[in-house]
Amino acid sequence: MPKPKFFAVVHTPYFRLQCAQQKLVNAEIESNRQTDLPLFGEPATIPKTGDKIPSALLNDSQIIEANPAADAAGVSIGITPSLALARAPELQLYTPVVEQENQQQEALLQLCYRYSPFIENTAPGVCTLDLRGRKDQHQEWWARELLAQWRILGFTAQIGIGPNPELAEQAAKFANPYLAVNANSQLLRSLPLESLKPSHELLDILHNWGIRTLGELVRLPREDIGVRLGLEGLALWDRATGRSTKVLHHMQPPETFREAIDLEQRLETLEPLLFLLRRSLEHLTLRVEAVYRLVAEIRLLLLLDNEDTLERSLQIPAPTRDIAVLFRVLTQYLETVQTTAPVVGFVLEVFASNPGKHQFDLFQSGLKDPNRFFNTLARLAALVGNNRVGIPEKVATHRPDSVRMQWPAFDWMDKTSTQTKSPRIGPALRRYRPPIPATVELISGRPVRIQSPAVNGKINILSGPWHSSGDWWHTNHWEIQEWDIELAQGGLYRLTLSSGSWSISGGYD
Amino acid sequence: MSSGKIIELRQVLDERFPRELPPPSSLLATGIDCLDRPLEGGLRRGSITQLVAPLPSCGSAAILHGLIESMQASSRFVALIDGKNSFEPLDTTNLLLWIRCKNVSQAIRAADLIIRDGNIVLSILDLKQNEARELRKVPATAWYRLQRVTAEFETTLLLITSYYISGSSIAALQINNPLRITDFAELSSTISQSRLIDFIYRKNHHAEPQYAQA
Repeated sequence: MPKPKFFAVVHTPYFRLQCAQQKLVNAEIESNRQTDLPLFGEPATIPKTGDKIPSALLNDSQIIEANPAADAAGVSIGITPSLALARAPELQLYTPVVEQENQQQEALLQLCYRYSPFIENTAPGVCTLDLRGRKDQHQEWWARELLAQWRILGFTAQIGIGPNPELAEQAAKFANPYLAVNANSQLLRSLPLESLKPSHELLDILHNWGIRTLGELVRLPREDIGVRLGLEGLALWDRATGRSTKVLHHMQPPETFREAIDLEQRLETLEPLLFLLRRSLEHLTLRVEAVYRLVAEIRLLLLLDNEDTLERSLQIPAPTRDIAVLFRVLTQYLETVQTTAPVVGFVLEVFASNPGKHQFDLFQSGLKDPNRFFNTLARLAALVGNNRVGIPEKVATHRPDSVRMQWPAFDWMDKTSTQTKSPRIGPALRRYRPPIPATVELISGRPVRIQSPAVNGKINILSGPWHSSGDWWHTNHWEIQEWDIELAQGGLYRLTLSSGSWSISGGYD
Repeated sequence: MSSGKIIELRQVLDERFPRELPPPSSLLATGIDCLDRPLEGGLRRGSITQLVAPLPSCGSAAILHGLIESMQASSRFVALIDGKNSFEPLDTTNLLLWIRCKNVSQAIRAADLIIRDGNIVLSILDLKQNEARELRKVPATAWYRLQRVTAEFETTLLLITSYYISGSSIAALQINNPLRITDFAELSSTISQSRLIDFIYRKNHHAEPQYAQA
């Protein structure tokens, strides 16, 4: 016996209008920037763009979408804005934001993909999920979870579940916010014929017959419908009874996580920008979470008022979805940025990666919090300078004090050298950087006394000279003589003669 | 009272009121015997230990290198906050984070950042080459704050200076034997292990007030 099939449809009513309202939310946040908007969590005065205020979408001097409040006030699709404003004086009019619509449609598909690998990009704001493999008893639970996630991104939607995509879509339109129906549902029977969008000719014929609801249509024998209305009539009857066999065009949502915001006002301070960035980051992270990935890189493009741009990619050492960590990386970067003009927009994109696989040795203590560590490194670099913090790496030369600072990579702990080193001989040197110039008294070419701002005295014992040279094939070739000395009053030092000048290059300690 | 008498008095008190040994987990063994022995197992976690190297050449850099090598051998991270940018790396040391500071103030701020990070097992604040007058400018509150964050983040900090800074640490040890030119023939490990190190200050961890039994 074949398993019963279930489909779910996420229906976002007046989707294009909701997208346009998203832009208003951003504009409101900008205008509130001087007030004390909290950086964390939802602001106390989140702009009101809900269903209670009549709102409509305007395109080519026509209303193309209206919310329920506008609908109740008599604002219908196709009327002119002046007529709409005459009917609802408090009506808010928006214009479509195509880029926002595309971004949010991608976001919807990514969220839905978490719940089923078989999804269809049905229409703007509508996604159909084939629920094969899911158990019935969990449907409402996950449906509400999906709606909550979509709500976080700023959208109000409904979910309908039915035995075929057609019924699920009809159920979604009437859900509040969740509705599961079967083929014999009374609700569907009461729906008007227009809900299935038949052709005008067919609709006129059925209206002339006195048929106005799906229930009235399905009470007519199928064969007679076929004889009188042909294939189109049969298809409509099948759809009304839930027997249609619509084939879903499965797709995989793109793994691009990007939000572009054009600001209404010019931002001159960091705080409102950070607030908007955090909001976008939360949205993007939610989408990344939906595909079970982690954020490995953040790319930020700031659009400036003088048409200049500022772009920066920020690597996340240990990929994560922790908003606090990601936001800290972003904040830290922005605190160091100085723009040549106010910010008028930004593009925030995150790149997802799979969770890293790091297997430490049994006795190896890895970094507890790599992201925090790299954050600290950046702070240290800001404090002492970029080339003054890192892992010391010896350069392959005999030239004294040839050391390079390496910025640690995330897997720096895995690179522990295992080669056995030959045991070192003698005390360690503390190098004077720069070397201290010294005046040296010589007898028979051997130093007997030194005088310098730091070290003075009679040389008691010495060993040397130790000659070394290099880079003879370059113009910057070098040649030095070094002596190890012990002063009469104590203290071991390294004395260097280079280009005829004496200096103390360090003290042994 | 001379410092010699104070040390003697402390020894007497230690004998009369023997201290409990801290649990092994609260100690970080350095692998350098002359350091671990007086510290009864190693550096205490969550606190600052001071190593005073009063002589210009007494082996503190040798101990520093030995410590880094020992930590590297046990795959532990070390941060060296170099107060005068005087460290001379001998090999590429993967588990060493070297912070080359210009002055004491910068070094203390860097140490604060490193300790608060909480990822590094052992931090070494090397102020041996910094001048005494520069060190004296550091307010006592700075050392106190450093102690507090070390305790809070349970990291271990070894402070190397040329003179004892009162109130900066839980224990202070001093290297007493100078290096000679004959030591150039010795192995570095022998030099670091053969330092004569004595306590000059040890905080009594069990100095909680003792109340009379009813």
